[in-house]
Amino acid sequence: MLLLDYQNVLIESLLRDRFAPDATPSSIDQVVSDFDNVTFHISTPNTKTQILVSIRLKCYPELLQYGAQAVLEREYGAYIVQPEAGYDFSVQVDLEKLPASQEERDDLIRRVSLLKRNAMAAPFEQAFDEYTALHEEASHYTSESAPQGVKEGGAVRAIHYREEEAIFIKASHDRVTVIFSTVFREETDRIFAKVFLQEFADARRRAIQNAPQVLFRNDPPLELQGQTGLPKVKGEMSYITFVLFPRHLTPQRREEVISHIQTFRDYFHYHIKASKAYIHSRMRRRTADFLQVLRRARPEAEEKERKTASGRTFRVQG
Amino acid sequence: MANQTPAVVMDNGTGYSKLGFAGNDSPSFVFPTAIATKGPAGSGGAGGGSGSGRPAVANKPTFLTGGAGPTGHLSGKRGTEDLDFFIGDEALSAAAGPGYGIHYPIRHGQIENWDHMERFWSNSIFKYLRVEPEDHYFLLTEPPLNPPENRENTAEIMFESFNCAGLYIAVQAVLALAASWTSSKVQDRSLTGTVIDSGEGVTHVIPVAEGYVIGSSIKSIPIAGRDITYFVQSLLRDRGEPDSSLKTAERIKEEFCYVCPDIVKEFARFDKESDDRFRKYDVKFPNGKTTTVDVGYERFLAPEIFFNPEIYSSDFLTPLPTIVDTVIQTSPIDVRRGLYKNIVLSGGSTLYKDFGRRLQRDIRHLVDARIKASEARAGNAAKSGGLDVQVITHKRQRHGPWFGGSLLGQTPEFRSYCHTKAEYDEIGPSIVRRFALLGGPGST
Repeated sequence: MLLLDYQNVLIESLLRDRFAPDATPSSIDQVVSDFDNVTFHISTPNTKTQILVSIRLKCYPELLQYGAQAVLEREYGAYIVQPEAGYDFSVQVDLEKLPASQEERDDLIRRVSLLKRNAMAAPFEQAFDEYTALHEEASHYTSESAPQGVKEGGAVRAIHYREEEAIFIKASHDRVTVIFSTVFREETDRIFAKVFLQEFADARRRAIQNAPQVLFRNDPPLELQGQTGLPKVKGEMSYITFVLFPRHLTPQRREEVISHIQTFRDYFHYHIKASKAYIHSRMRRRTADFLQVLRRARPEAEEKERKTASGRTFRVQG
Repeated sequence: MANQTPAVVMDNGTGYSKLGFAGNDSPSFVFPTAIATKGPAGSGGAGGGSGSGRPAVANKPTFLTGGAGPTGHLSGKRGTEDLDFFIGDEALSAAAGPGYGIHYPIRHGQIENWDHMERFWSNSIFKYLRVEPEDHYFLLTEPPLNPPENRENTAEIMFESFNCAGLYIAVQAVLALAASWTSSKVQDRSLTGTVIDSGEGVTHVIPVAEGYVIGSSIKSIPIAGRDITYFVQSLLRDRGEPDSSLKTAERIKEEFCYVCPDIVKEFARFDKESDDRFRKYDVKFPNGKTTTVDVGYERFLAPEIFFNPEIYSSDFLTPLPTIVDTVIQTSPIDVRRGLYKNIVLSGGSTLYKDFGRRLQRDIRHLVDARIKASEARAGNAAKSGGLDVQVITHKRQRHGPWFGGSLLGQTPEFRSYCHTKAEYDEIGPSIVRRFALLGGPGST
């Protein structure tokens, strides 16, 4: 598994089971987590045929501000219900009123399992739209005569999706910049992260010309000037900047790009851990080899003093 | 923190792994503890052995040959081969095709291949549960009599590879006892009792006193779910049914089997009222064909092999009630009363209807007979007050240990029983040799 899935596997498999033609409806009540402190509650509060999926995100107020409502309404439309108490957003699927064709059902499963992704996608979509608008506007000017707003690009959208970490998105007329701020508690992890990021930064230089540019640094990049709530201490926080170029922002690519970039942090952490597992596996192997060498290197059998029955010993005459 | 993340509960058994979050009443994922990796299926040994079941004997250690040995081990690989694997049901389907070999990292309840287990966990956490280990506490299970070294290895992986926030390792039998608290028959939430854990491969009878396993008295029985399936299959074959595949036998076992009070009477009853006793099972083949299999005496004969093993096996002949009685009799005398009073069932093979009732009756007979004999020996001078035998059947039996873990993992004090990452960093792996007893005296 190189890339993480975007959808929640539990929701997907659960709905698939329930949507099967011969499935018997039964009650569900599960609270499950997803990455980034997202909590799902899947339940059948009223009848066994109505499955309610609720989501709680830490940054939901921020997402609303960046147009999450519109995105969610577009994706879920008629399925949206009043949010369950303690949760931010709920969809309800009625097993008795499912779409008829298999494709539509599959599409519904896919959409519901992507609930977290869609909620988080709103600021990205907004930024991408802003880029399109700015790009349109900028094409009327030459680089010198552009008014201030066009040149600088839009405001920075900040999503504080975790306790200490955040995503910042900024659109300009020729690119969209996405900045992740990350913290590593572990010294080992920090080193792994550095190696990984170096690889990302170098990837463009070597083979993959079409990749977005990746930069990383330990102090806030210039784009974040004026942002509040950034830690003052240097070193704790590192900033990873992705520069998405127009070719990543085309309408046919953008769904994919949003999904990818959202999972970046989890992807990053997953691979750090997978590398550690790989190194551990090599270490175990090496230890086993060394042990084998040690086992073979038994000292030669020592000459023990041999005695006769009466207790006398033989001595080789020298 | 106002909004605590739920603890992750993982019960990795020999056959199946149960994964989920504390507070739920059923695991989110149940899939085989299997991992499919590139290359042929190995023996599962740490040395990446050959298929013969013995580690391959290399002429030179691989570091002398520059890691270019003939083995399929990862250390020779430089690409992303370490990520090319599947776990659970996906592993089974991948292994059915070419290129992948299947491995079972847990044998007899204990982890044998740590390389595979580490990757199994990595995929469980990131692909299925989708959590960041830094944000969650973990509750893992271990079989009784697990060597402390295995605990240390587990802790090493959990803390050093995954940086999980906190870890608690509980004994499966103790969790099964905790799961029985949901039964209405249980008045006091004690952690004393006898656990009968019957899964797919083997049945264990484990006495637990005050949350501690009495290791010297554990007995295991080589009869479990798989044997019942084989027995049903052989009965079907003997009768010449149109389909006697293992899958059909398993379905029949799960759907129709029950425990009867007396076989002879049950046979008579079947012959008298054949119409509502005999059943039919429709087999649907994957190619769309269907056929019908008659279901007869195996309905009550199959689970009967627990009580009369001689009808199935010729080398194991002690019935389950006798084993339970022996286990309790070999335990310290001051806990025996508690052990008789709280016999808890756990695992899929204890789900047959009336299994608990039959077991309770048989054990009571044994106990009463012994009391009578001893009274007779005493010349009827002293009367015994009798002994209370009670077998507890409850709704969460199937995933008993997991449910017990979920129950204890959601308690507010759970986190204080865990060892945290900081403690681990301070003391090292040996910290997990001891855990405070979760759900023991003093906790709610």
